Amino acid sequence: MKTRGFLTQLVKTLSPLYPMAKRLLYRFHGGVFPKYNKELSLRQPLREGYIPKQLILPLQQHMGLPALPCVELGESVKKFQLIAQAAKGLSAPVHAPTSGKIIAIEPRVLPHASGLAQPCIVIEPDGLDSAITNVLAVNTPPQTPEAFKQLILNAGIVGMGGAGFPTFAKLPNQPGLVEHLVINGAECEPFITCDDMLMQTHPDEIIRGAQLVAQMFGIPHVVCAIENNKPKAIEAMRQACADSQITITEVATVYPMGGQKQLIQEVLGIEVPSGKHTIDIGIVMMNIATLRAIAHAVDKGQPLVSRFVTVSGLGLEQPYNINALLGTPFDELIALAKPKQPIDYPLIMGGPMMGVKLADNHVPVVKTSNCILANPPEPVQAPMACIRCGECADACPINLQPQQLYWHAQAHEYEQAEKLNLFDCIECGCCSFVCPSHIPLVQYYRHAKSEVREIRAQAQLTEQAKQRHEARQARIERDKQERDAKLAAKKAAVKQQAAQDTQDKKTAQPAHQTAESNREDAPKLSARERAIQMAKARQQAAKASPEQTQPAEKPAAASDDKRKAAMEAAKARAAAKKAQAELSTDQPKQESEKPELSVEDKRKAAMEAAKARAAAKKAQQETAK
Amino acid sequence: MSALAGILIFLGLSLAFGLLLGYAAVRFKVEGDPVAELIDKKLPQTQCGQCGYPGCKPYAEALAKGEAEVNLCIPGGEPTMLEIAELLQVEPKPMQAEATEPKPPMVALINEDLCIGCVLCIKACPVDAIVGATKMMHTVIKKECTGCELCIPVCPVDCIDMVFEQPTPQTWKWPDPKSAAESAQ
Repeated sequence: MKTRGFLTQLVKTLSPLYPMAKRLLYRFHGGVFPKYNKELSLRQPLREGYIPKQLILPLQQHMGLPALPCVELGESVKKFQLIAQAAKGLSAPVHAPTSGKIIAIEPRVLPHASGLAQPCIVIEPDGLDSAITNVLAVNTPPQTPEAFKQLILNAGIVGMGGAGFPTFAKLPNQPGLVEHLVINGAECEPFITCDDMLMQTHPDEIIRGAQLVAQMFGIPHVVCAIENNKPKAIEAMRQACADSQITITEVATVYPMGGQKQLIQEVLGIEVPSGKHTIDIGIVMMNIATLRAIAHAVDKGQPLVSRFVTVSGLGLEQPYNINALLGTPFDELIALAKPKQPIDYPLIMGGPMMGVKLADNHVPVVKTSNCILANPPEPVQAPMACIRCGECADACPINLQPQQLYWHAQAHEYEQAEKLNLFDCIECGCCSFVCPSHIPLVQYYRHAKSEVREIRAQAQLTEQAKQRHEARQARIERDKQERDAKLAAKKAAVKQQAAQDTQDKKTAQPAHQTAESNREDAPKLSARERAIQMAKARQQAAKASPEQTQPAEKPAAASDDKRKAAMEAAKARAAAKKAQAELSTDQPKQESEKPELSVEDKRKAAMEAAKARAAAKKAQQETAK
Repeated sequence: MSALAGILIFLGLSLAFGLLLGYAAVRFKVEGDPVAELIDKKLPQTQCGQCGYPGCKPYAEALAKGEAEVNLCIPGGEPTMLEIAELLQVEPKPMQAEATEPKPPMVALINEDLCIGCVLCIKACPVDAIVGATKMMHTVIKKECTGCELCIPVCPVDCIDMVFEQPTPQTWKWPDPKSAAESAQ
């Protein structure tokens, strides 16, 4: 402890001369020290109870599969009511954040870098905020890990730190598999203070959530890590867990301390191996907001319908924190903070380091939105050539080679980039932040990652197509062989028959003998051959007795009549159809009035066209002959 | 004497190695044509037949035998042509005009109101991506469709269209900062 104090002192004296001396204060590699601007949003008290005019709830606010809507247009819903249930597999349900009416289920622009629209449920609040109590029907706390996980799934809880991984999928199925629970209260991105505010205002609920998880899964060590630039939060959390097993650890203020792998390395001294999950080495990390949501679900039976959001930025007069309902549009929250100038620039979702500029500012708060940033655009410095200074490699918290990765990414040599562990990059932005040539390095890695993902998906599709084609070829070949075999068998049978017939003729004189031989052959012959024989027998019989021919011919004549009648009917039907078609083309008004008719007409027209084409083809073939 | 010994030794060695090689040729015989396999891997597997061969594999085999030109694969476009040329160590040939620009991926979509259930497209599909039965409405399994367009000409009522696949946030790609910077300049 003493050496630690001495080191801190030393670094303090050194840092004005050499700022990177601060890197001695923590265990992971790299890291940067941006200007934090956290005080901006802490000046205002926490806002609560704001209900916007419309709530837009995307069906996908998490990693995995989108939820499936289970309400109808125009339906009235109450607060906490389930409006979209989880799909099978990795998914999470969505609940109504307040009471109101479903006014639309349609694609709306998502808070995503792509700016694409995806299905959302839109609620118009009635302002009453009438809730269903204990909607998750929790009467006694869940007793088994399975029941606990099911409850977390039903509550729609996902990782609220940013990734949005459904929390239930993070937890093991039986107790005793997890050694450490690390509570992430680091919040290392500049400007963001929503976790700080949550720890200051509701520390007891966070601790309660952590205790529930620790008890259920038999986790012996629970550590809560908070960056030392949040003294009030540390104090509040210390008081809340005074009589529990949970320890509060102060960690150095450095970006990206809040990254999962970085924080584990700092707190436990364990480096998570490349390509492995933390659960594989017996560690679970949860964000403080996630733990609070778990406490709400278990103690009150409440699903996740709101979250703390920081509304901040240099373009705002009164930045603040708010306990916002999910689905609240960004632009409405920004308007509450009194912008210094009209917001005609794109807002940033997330912090300045990892956040993305939005294509549209009218997007909703989702389960993973921690910050809305309104920073007026600064003049962008044009990127220059890489000078191989190595600053980025010093700053990389994963110990990658950013300059090499950049080189391969810009040359589209994705295999090489993958060999340099492209997919271990956490896109923290430290390399772009320190680059003296202003190269948007992270953009290159993001692009390279999406290219590699596409190439992989394409390779899979290609392989699938190949297999399906080969299966089809094999099937066609098999069918053909079977047909050939059948044909050959038939030919052989006919030949045999012919041979037998000649034999029969030879042995025709003694009639009773033939009959006997026929009887002997009968079981050997196939049904078809027997039918042929029977027909022959009938013909012979007919020749023998000419009176009997009359009744035999009659049914044939009758069937001819029937066929003729059917032909006539078909002709009549076709004529009627044609007449109808002409009628409908004569009266285009009627057509427009009846949209169902137009489909019919289209089909008919297409049929006519097809007939004409077929006729033309025939004619062509004939002329070719 | 020593000259004779030398000759005998070398005769013996050549016999031994000859036998060894002969055995290895039989024992480690490679089934199929490895070059054709390699080329087949480079081809897009749309099975569209635009090269004039009844699928990607027959074209690969023809290429391996040196019977086909390298520039026939239209869906693969120029990148595929260059890869094949490099693999076969032949001069690259320019593509035909319509294949120089790579087409964005498309899939077939059957207009289900117009489909008459003739099963012609089902027979034409090289990857069995169309389901349906006689006089029943047919439909395309989107994720199996390779976009080969072989079902389009056989449809008697022209009810099949090629449509672009709409990107979702999962399939969306981050833009290339390099091309963005170049276009800005």
